[in-house]
Formats: sequence, C-alpha cells, structure tokens
Amino acid sequence: MASPAQAEELAPADLTGLDVPWVTIVWNDPVNLMSYVSYVFQSYFGYSREKAEKLMRDVHEAGRAVVSTGTREQMERDTEAMHGYGLWATFAKDS
Amino acid sequence: MARRFERTRRGVTARLDVEERELLDDLLAEVGVLLDDGTEPDADPLEAMVGISEGARTPEDPALARLLPDAAREDPEAAAEFRRFTERGLRQRKREALATARATLARPAPLVLDAAEAQAWLVALNDLRLVLAERLGLRTDSDAERLLAEAEEMAADDPRAWMSAVYDFLTWLQETLVTALTDELQRRDP
Repeated sequence: MASPAQAEELAPADLTGLDVPWVTIVWNDPVNLMSYVSYVFQSYFGYSREKAEKLMRDVHEAGRAVVSTGTREQMERDTEAMHGYGLWATFAKDS
Repeated sequence: MARRFERTRRGVTARLDVEERELLDDLLAEVGVLLDDGTEPDADPLEAMVGISEGARTPEDPALARLLPDAAREDPEAAAEFRRFTERGLRQRKREALATARATLARPAPLVLDAAEAQAWLVALNDLRLVLAERLGLRTDSDAERLLAEAEEMAADDPRAWMSAVYDFLTWLQETLVTALTDELQRRDP
C-alpha cells in the first residue's frame, strides 16, 4: 500500500490537472460602481441578488474575491467576460 | 440638465441636452480611437473571435491597460498567452459597444434604447469612466476621496476640474442606467 505521501504524489488530479480547480478573481478598484459590479455578477453568472451583493462587498472590503471556480478554460472565459464589462479580473490555479 | 435613465414601456429612455449628447459623442469616439489597433472594425465576428494577435503586449498607455488588463498576476506567460488569444476580440466588442451607443445618439431625441442598446451603453459608459479615472490619477479608493475633496478647490479653468465634472456626470448617468436594468433583472427573476 502506498503511504499517504506517495498517494498524494500519484493522485490522478496531479497527473491530469483536470480535477484541480481554477478560480476567477475580481479585484477592487475605485471606478466600478458597487451597483454595477453586483449587476454584472447577477446578469453574467446568474447569481441571486444576495450572493452577488455579498461578492461585491467582499471585493470592496477585502480587495478581491473569488467569483467563480472551475476548469482553466471556464475561468479564462469568465475572466474575458469580466474584462468585457470593465471589471479587473484574473484567473489562477486555486491555492 | 439631463434626466436619468428610466425604464418605460418603450424601453430604457433618457433625456439629454444637445451639449450632453455632443459631449458623450466626443468621448465615445475618443475611447473608440484609443481601442483602435488598426484592424477592421467590421471584420467577420467569427474571425475576430478566433483572431490571434501575435504582437499583443500589455499596453503602455495606463488607460488602455485598464481597458485591456493582464489576466494573470503571478504567471506572465499565461497572461501573455491569454492576451494573444483574446485581446483582439475584446477590443472589437468594446468598440462595437461604443459605436452602438454613438449610433443611438444620432437618432432624434429622446434616447430610447432596446435591451441590446442599453447593454452597449452600460459597458460603454463604464469604459469611458475607466479612461477618465486613469487620466485623473484615480487608482485607489483613497485617490477617489482625495479627488472629491480637491475638486471643490479647483479653479474653474483647471482642466482637471472639467474632467472631474465630466467623470461625475458619467458616474451619475451610469448609476441611473444600472438601477433601471437591475429593476428589469428583478422583474425577470423575482
């Protein structure tokens, strides 16, 4: 039987990268209106008003928030969409 | 003085003065020029979608860099690759939104927008504000507060006073449009 350390080393996720979640992060800026950011989260991601407003406040107060999670391809798509709206977004491997 | 964007049975409407329409038209045109990288604006959208810009780099103009930001913070290679594959399309979609907004200004007053035009205005107003904010040195929340305090002290002929007043006008106009469109969202899915 493999030791836990080895098992971790050989986890399929590490080999394929498929199960490693990626994230889209939106960063705070002084220009985008709070109402606008909340609108974008509702209309693009389909989030409820409550969820969108919570994420908007997280961005505003913590300086950044993870707004979506998924494959790298999906996160690149979300980041591109956020740039279309003028939001300051990046994608990264979840750490 | 402009009347805010409102949701009516005919669509989202706003009343703007002739001077306000001219100002908006100028700003929309200027940001369109800023985003112009020399590719055809009317090129096949499919071509633009798969369009790869090999030479694309983070723009040197900070205002343009704000419209077309780096997509990865700790991985310059991923950011560069993302830019090669997406920047052309992003520039084009932004220019289309600006052009759509300009086209509605050319129609007789009042401004009456269908859903697609309202979306174009929403994004275009935001891009206008991003560019003006960068020109005003507005990069953090404390910059915003400082500018607000300074604006009251600025001489009337200070170009920053004018820019700051324009920025405030755009902010107000966008806020009213967001409110109208958010109401619509709530109505659609209560």
